[in-house]
Amino acid sequence: MSGTEITISSAADALAGVAALRRLADRLEDAAVEQAMRTGWGWPQVAEALGVTRQAVHKKHAKRLIAVGVELRRR
Amino acid sequence: MGTFSSYLRTIIDLGRSEASKDGSATVEAQHLLLALAVGPDAAPRQLLAEAGLDHAAIRAALSREFQHSLAAAGVTVDASDLPAPSYPDEPAPHLGTSARLALERGMDATARKNPRPAHLLAGILLAQVGTVPRALELVGIDRAALAERARRAASS
Repeated sequence: MSGTEITISSAADALAGVAALRRLADRLEDAAVEQAMRTGWGWPQVAEALGVTRQAVHKKHAKRLIAVGVELRRR
Repeated sequence: MGTFSSYLRTIIDLGRSEASKDGSATVEAQHLLLALAVGPDAAPRQLLAEAGLDHAAIRAALSREFQHSLAAAGVTVDASDLPAPSYPDEPAPHLGTSARLALERGMDATARKNPRPAHLLAGILLAQVGTVPRALELVGIDRAALAERARRAASS
């Protein structure tokens, strides 16, 4: 980290903005996948809608959704 | 040392619960800070309280940091409008990078010989960038001064 204070401060804001957006996106994804699965979507549809593989979406969300009592359709 | 190990385990466990409330897959420095504010040792709690930081105040500062950083990326959200995903009441399993750095910074060579709870607080406060320093700055806390007080309290 070097340069003027203004540069440092705006770089810090820019980096923190990226970190906050990731947290926001994760939270929105958690809520959206939960909503979809609660309303009867299957993993393949959710994965396609998110643009990721079925394995990826399953790995990321299945354990949590089972733990909070969402009834999941078979893969 | 035995006492400190059990304190550290308690703080990490409390941090895991804080992380799971956030839906975070990892325990980060801010979760350890929240844990210290309610942890079993009075020294870090008192240092934080003297700076006006109880658990609720730290949560409020973190929420402000989130909104402020989103705004820096051009996004305005009202946190109460966000959908609330369901998270199981299971502690987050892993320590994240910021928590690991806080532990490393807190447990420097002197601290390792006689580790005390205030060393952990100092370690968290020594970070110059990231969520914790930004949150504290936004609520007007002199982080470096508080880190120094924590370090002195740990070695007294």
